[in-house]
Amino acid sequence: MSTMDFFTAMEVSASGLSAERTRMNVAASNLANAQTTQAAGGGPYRRRDVVLQSADVPGATGTPFAQAVRGVAVAQIAQDAAPPRLEYDPGHPQANAQGYVAYPNVNPVEEMVDMITASRAYEAGITSMTTAVNMAERALGIGR
Amino acid sequence: MSIAPITPPAVPEIAGVSAAERPAAKPELAGSFSKALSEAHAAENRATDAAERFAKGDPGMGIHEVVIASEKANIAVRYATTLKNKALEAYRELMNTQV
Repeated sequence: MSTMDFFTAMEVSASGLSAERTRMNVAASNLANAQTTQAAGGGPYRRRDVVLQSADVPGATGTPFAQAVRGVAVAQIAQDAAPPRLEYDPGHPQANAQGYVAYPNVNPVEEMVDMITASRAYEAGITSMTTAVNMAERALGIGR
Repeated sequence: MSIAPITPPAVPEIAGVSAAERPAAKPELAGSFSKALSEAHAAENRATDAAERFAKGDPGMGIHEVVIASEKANIAVRYATTLKNKALEAYRELMNTQV
């Protein structure tokens, strides 16, 4: 592709945007389930964490830069192994024999920070995307 | 006293242009233009496909993917247009040559 170079930067930015969108979705899921005491598979909801890995840039395989310029992909959405938060509430239908209710191991403050980080990283990705597009447009304007 | 005779000036070779290269110039331009056109066509198809998948609610298709696909199509079309304009400009320049 003759316009490959600019498209490579765009592909990399796009993969970053997708990754940040996933992080946003997971942070939203964690926040929404911060009080969920009953999840699929029994027990309270467990906090989810996004694991990212570097990935091939689509369309760039076979070029000399395929190994140097890397996109990003979601490797997995892991469950946080931290123990659930126990709160004393004997009247709760899910309280155990000692009167404790297991709440999710979600810290809303941490999730808010994750969300802001994802949002800022998304903005950064859009900035690099816009810059790549602007460079392509400037290149098309050579000699005009 | 002798006067040196007037000799015609030697015609210098135009730098970078050899006789062997000249015939290849035309198919090269046409080829790159048709390649750019087919690229633009493919990019447009991908943009339409992305917009359709987004409209259908494909979970793997985010808003940014649709916008990026259409932006790529935009760049590809403008690239093809730029090549076309350059080729036309060169053609007109040749046709306006005063004989």
